[in-house]
Amino acid sequence: MAISIQIDRVSREYGPVKALDDVTLDIKAGEFFTLLGSSGCGKSSLLKLIGGFDRQTSGRVAFDGKDVGNLPANKRPVNTVFQSLALFPHMSVAQNVGYGLRLKGLSGASLDSRINDALDLVELSGFGPRDVNLLSGGQRQRVALARALVMEPGILLLDEPLTGLDERLRQQMRDEFGRLHKRTGATFILVTHNQDEALSLSDRMAVMHKGRIEQVDAPACFFEMPANAFVARFVGIDTLLRPEKVVSNAGQTVATVGGQTLAVRTQGVVDAAASVIAIRPDRLFLAPQGAPHALTLTVVETTFRGLHRDLKLAFSDGQSLVIAIEADTDIGRLSAGQQVAVGLKPDAAVLISSAGLPPAG
Amino acid sequence: MTGSRLPISSALMTPPLLSILAFGLAPLTIVVVWSFWSWDPSTYWIKPDLSLAGYAGILEAGRWTVIVSTLVKAFATALLCLLIAYPTAYAVHFLAGRRLSIILLALITIPFFTSYLIRSFSWRLVLGRTGVLNSWLQDIGIINAPLDWLLFSNFAVVVGLVASYLPFATFPLLLSMRRVDPTFLAAAQDLGAGFWKSLTSILLPLTMSGIFAGFLFVFVMVVGSSTEVQMLGGAGASIVSVMINDVMRVANYPLAFAISTIVLIVIFGLVLIGNRMFGLASLFEDQSP
Repeated sequence: MAISIQIDRVSREYGPVKALDDVTLDIKAGEFFTLLGSSGCGKSSLLKLIGGFDRQTSGRVAFDGKDVGNLPANKRPVNTVFQSLALFPHMSVAQNVGYGLRLKGLSGASLDSRINDALDLVELSGFGPRDVNLLSGGQRQRVALARALVMEPGILLLDEPLTGLDERLRQQMRDEFGRLHKRTGATFILVTHNQDEALSLSDRMAVMHKGRIEQVDAPACFFEMPANAFVARFVGIDTLLRPEKVVSNAGQTVATVGGQTLAVRTQGVVDAAASVIAIRPDRLFLAPQGAPHALTLTVVETTFRGLHRDLKLAFSDGQSLVIAIEADTDIGRLSAGQQVAVGLKPDAAVLISSAGLPPAG
Repeated sequence: MTGSRLPISSALMTPPLLSILAFGLAPLTIVVVWSFWSWDPSTYWIKPDLSLAGYAGILEAGRWTVIVSTLVKAFATALLCLLIAYPTAYAVHFLAGRRLSIILLALITIPFFTSYLIRSFSWRLVLGRTGVLNSWLQDIGIINAPLDWLLFSNFAVVVGLVASYLPFATFPLLLSMRRVDPTFLAAAQDLGAGFWKSLTSILLPLTMSGIFAGFLFVFVMVVGSSTEVQMLGGAGASIVSVMINDVMRVANYPLAFAISTIVLIVIFGLVLIGNRMFGLASLFEDQSP
C-alpha cells in the first residue's frame, strides 16, 4: 500500500524566484519523512508538487517509479492534512470524514462503518453528528487526520499540522502521528519548521534552505556529521569554530584554534579555509586542571538555564564555545576570567564545510 | 457597565434610527394605509375610509397579469444574471491574478457610469431590424430575413434588464466567494473531487448567501425598473412601475398603492424565505473561524 516517491532534478520557479532549485530526493515506501526548514525554504512548494496542487517548472516527480506529472491532485493516491485543516464548515464531522468515500461511490452501511472506524482510529468515536465548527483545536486536528486516513492513502502529507496548537496538544498529536504511522504503514511526509517534531518522528529528514536540500539523513546523523554550518546551526549545534590550520596525519586530523590543538573527525577532503569545527556541547566536560589533551579556556560568563547552566568559554583568539554544566555546580571558581580545562569526548568535534556561515569579518 | 454606556450608545443610535423611520418606514406605512382608502373618479379625490376598491382595481383591466409578468421577468432576469455572474465572479476571484482581476472588475463596472436610458437605447442599435446582430447574422448566412422578435419583445426586455443589472448579481457573489478559503477547494480535490464535484458540493453551498443576495438584488431592481421596458418592450409592453405611473396620472393613489403593497409583500416574503433558507444575514457578518 505504501508508495515510494522519486523527486528527480525538480525546480519550481515563480518568475525570477526559485522556490525549488534542482531538488533530487528519494523517499522510501512506508517511511516517515520530514521536510524541515524555515519559512520560504521551499518545503511547502515541494509538498504541493507531491500532492499535485502545483506543477514543477522542470524535472520529474514519480510515485513507485511512475511519472505523475500529468496526474491531477484528485487522481493521486495522496491525501493531505492541511495547515489550516480546511474542514468543510457546512458539513458535520461524519460528512467531512465521509466526503472522499462518497465520491468513490460508497454509501449506506459500508460508508458508515468506514467513517466510524476512522473516527475510532483518531479516538473521536461518537463524534460523527457533531458540527465541525464547534470542536476544539485538537478535535478538529483529529477530524482532519481521519478525513485523510479514511481514504487509505499510499502517501499522507502533513503540512505544518501542529502550528496553532498549544504545547500539550502538540505533544499529544505528535505521539498520535507516530502511532498512526505504525498503524497505517503509509508513507508519511511531514513539513515543519520545528526540529523537535522532525527529530522525534522521522525515520529520515531533509533540511532545506533557499529551495535546495542541504542534507538528507536519519535524525541522529545530523548531529554526528552535519553537512555544513547551516545545517549544524539549524539543528542546534551553535558552537562553530574557525580553525587556524588543519593537519592530517595517518588518519588522524588535528585542528588548531587559538593556539591549542584538538582532534577532529573529518569527512572527505580537508580545506581549512572553507571549514569550521562544529562542537557538540553534550560531548564536552570540565576536566581536572592539567589533564592531557584538555583545552585551557577562559570563563566568559555563566547563565542559569533551569535544569542546567550554560558556561561560555573563550579561546585566546576570542572564539568561544558553550558547555552545559549541572545547575547546582559551585560556580565560585567559574567566575569570569578564570582558566578552566575542558576535555573532549570522542567525536566531540567535527570538521564541516562552512557553507551557510557569513564570511569571517 | 451596560447601564452607564447605554445613554451614549442610544444617543449614537438615534440619528440612524430616526432616518430609517423617516425615510423608510414612514413612506411605507403611508403606502400601505392609503391603499385601503377610497378614490372618487369624478373628483380624483381620495377619502380616508376603509375600502378594498384599490385591491379590486388590480383585478380589472388585466392589471394582475402585469404584476405576474413583472414577477416572471424579474425571476428570469435574476436567474440569467446569476448564470452569467457566477462564472464571472469565479474567474475574477479564483482564476485571475491580482492585476487581471482589477481589470475585469473595471470592465464590469465602467459601463454603469452611463445612464440606464442610454444603455437601453444602445440595445436598439444592436437588436433592431437593421441592427448589428441582424445584419451580422444575415452576412454569415444563418438567416435570410431580419429577425423581428429581437427588438420590441420580451426577449429584448430581458436582454436589456440582464445587461442593466448584472453587477448587482456579480458583486454579492464576489463578496461571498472572498469568504471561501481556497484551501477548501484544494481539500475537496485532495479527497478526489473533480472540478464540478467540488463546485457543487463545496463552493455552491458555501456561497449560497451570495447567490441569494444577488438574486434578490436583481429581482428587486427589475420589479422597480421601467426604462428597459419602455425602450425595448414595444407598444403595449408593461411592467409594474410603468403601470403604477399610469394609474398615478389620474391620482388614483389607493390603486397605485395597492399594487405597491402586493409587490412589497412578495419581496418581503422572498427576503424572509431567503434569510431562513440561505442565511442571507451571514453575508454581512464578520467571518467566524
